[in-house]
Amino acid sequence: MNKLLAFVAAALVAVSAAQAQKIVIKGSDTLGAKLVPMLAEEYRAQNPGVSFEIAAEGSTTGITAVIDGTAQIGMSSRRAKTTEMSAASAKGVSMKPLIVAYDGMAVIVNENSPIKALTKKQVEQIFTGDITDWSAVGGNPGRISIYTRNTSSGTYSDWKELAMNRRDYASSSQKMAGNEQIAAEVAKNANGIGYVGLAYVSAPGIRVVPVNGAVPTKESVLSKKYPYARPTFFYTNGEATGEAAKFIAFTLSDAGQKIVEKVHFVAIR
Amino acid sequence: MNRMTTKTLALAGAFFAAAGAALAQDNAPLIDLLVQKGIVNDQEAEELKAELVKSFVHNTSAGKLNLGSAVTEFKLSGDLRLRHQEETKQGQGKLTTDEQRRDRFRFRFNGDMLLQKGWGAGFALETGSAADSGNQSFVSGNDDYSIYLARAYVSYRYSKDLIFVGGKFKNPFYTTDMVWDGDINPQGLNENYSLTLGGKSGKDTLEFRAAQIIMADVNESKGGGAAGRDSHQFVQQAVYTTYFGELNASSFVIAPGFMLSTNSVIGTTGNETPFAGNGRYFNIITLPGELNFANIAGEGTSLKTYWDFAYNTTGKDQVYKSYGIASTYKADRTAWLVGIGYNFGSGKQQGDYGVKLDYRELGIGAIDPNISDSDFAFGNLNQKGFKLSASYNVTDFASLNAAYFYTTDKQQTLSHANGSLDHSQILQLDLVVKF
Repeated sequence: MNKLLAFVAAALVAVSAAQAQKIVIKGSDTLGAKLVPMLAEEYRAQNPGVSFEIAAEGSTTGITAVIDGTAQIGMSSRRAKTTEMSAASAKGVSMKPLIVAYDGMAVIVNENSPIKALTKKQVEQIFTGDITDWSAVGGNPGRISIYTRNTSSGTYSDWKELAMNRRDYASSSQKMAGNEQIAAEVAKNANGIGYVGLAYVSAPGIRVVPVNGAVPTKESVLSKKYPYARPTFFYTNGEATGEAAKFIAFTLSDAGQKIVEKVHFVAIR
Repeated sequence: MNRMTTKTLALAGAFFAAAGAALAQDNAPLIDLLVQKGIVNDQEAEELKAELVKSFVHNTSAGKLNLGSAVTEFKLSGDLRLRHQEETKQGQGKLTTDEQRRDRFRFRFNGDMLLQKGWGAGFALETGSAADSGNQSFVSGNDDYSIYLARAYVSYRYSKDLIFVGGKFKNPFYTTDMVWDGDINPQGLNENYSLTLGGKSGKDTLEFRAAQIIMADVNESKGGGAAGRDSHQFVQQAVYTTYFGELNASSFVIAPGFMLSTNSVIGTTGNETPFAGNGRYFNIITLPGELNFANIAGEGTSLKTYWDFAYNTTGKDQVYKSYGIASTYKADRTAWLVGIGYNFGSGKQQGDYGVKLDYRELGIGAIDPNISDSDFAFGNLNQKGFKLSASYNVTDFASLNAAYFYTTDKQQTLSHANGSLDHSQILQLDLVVKF
């Protein structure tokens, strides 16, 4: 009997130890598509006992997961909303933001588009539907096809905040699941326009359009001269602890920030 | 917070003291300026913003609401309307006119939630148990009043274009009060599909709306025939909207529809206009629409013409079988309305105002008196006349409204409860405060 008890106890310790080595990260597709999986891969190479569960379904899901306690780290490309902070507060969760990288949201058109530059006002008018034909902004006549992220995406709401004066998207805009899909649709459609993070500006078939004379580069993002630059975040419940804290420290380290730059985000320093 | 410098903490303290928690959210530009000046770095600024928001939610009611984690947005809204009403009416063949002055109020309180994964839910509470009116008259002795559940619904958005709603919900149809009283919240199921056509404006739409409405759920074992059958109403509508003019601000809307009713009996004693018939033969074609010219006399002004049309294909059965009216009278299966309105502003800001005038004729067999406007001719059919209304926003959230109705009968000596009014007048003076 004592042997059996000892075995069960040992098994429980082993299971709990194994669970303690798992980091659950949920949220932003912008961060979760490339950057965080690469960070996780490198971290796991240095810490073989650690496993990751990464779900990239939009910033809203990441913030909700931290509030619910179903993830240690919530990836978000936007700040938590007041309603989310309120929901967290009601559950005794202290939402802590940590900037892990900067991103520039690039305006992209089809590579064959004659559009060479746009102003901030024109971008707002296009995405809100005030302007519906390329001829109104110096392009060839043709109906503008707008591609945006879906509503659970932090990028979706960030774009409204940064580029659309908080107005609603044009009703004709088409919602895409991620940056890759937006780039792919714009590449297929000569009348397409969309926005993607810096990590996706080199996708085939698309071209970045300068806005107010600025294009998203490391320098223009860090100096905040590019109008659509934004920080991206990890959210945790208070100070992270355990393996999650170590992973965050790795993300902010020189090695982690090199990976940030490798996937075309802008490092925090 | 432990990463923040003493200087930052001092600044945060100054913010709290100077601005107060309620203004915490407004400090983002100030924090951004501190970043630009190099006084705090980006990370410190983010922590500061988060602390200010936390303080805001802690020190206001927002922080004390314990919402389910599925709730992503919860909107509370409502309004209170104080109304003084002067009314006169005279029945067909009567020698005297009934006159009444009424002081009434209507209170409505709505809660609408967006949940995760496309779900939603909501409710509305209001005074007045009648489906077609939330009004509560001030009665004697400073009595207290009941609150009723006017809406309770769940919704599921399958995609940005397609949404399903079930329960008791806001009327989803494009309509005028000739066919649907604005107070009615239908019950049953509703589906809406929106198709973006683009068009010259790039934002033209075609929407398909349908509802399967439960008018009455009866105990089938208690009677045969129409009285023992559940009563349903099936409504289908296509709504085409196209935009034109400068900045595509003007619009044209046309919304053909068809309404089918099962032949059954319903008890509507709670309605402002109780239904008097022994069957429901309402298979009605409807065709409301509007032509809206924006900025006709400067920015923010608009001139709108609007109309509605209804034709009951089974109107003869409704008039002769259900109402039991003699066949010497016309079934009069058509109802129509034409109106014109002028607006300054959207009616949401101080100083906005609007004036509307419409004329309508309601045949005795044309529309369903259970759902038509309970104010025009007190909800009676077999009436023609006009409605003149005006509103003025004294603040962004409060308005003064006035409406005047004048009606006379179409067919004389009809002598049926739903169409025996000789003439009527109603004057309503309202103060409405929204929150």
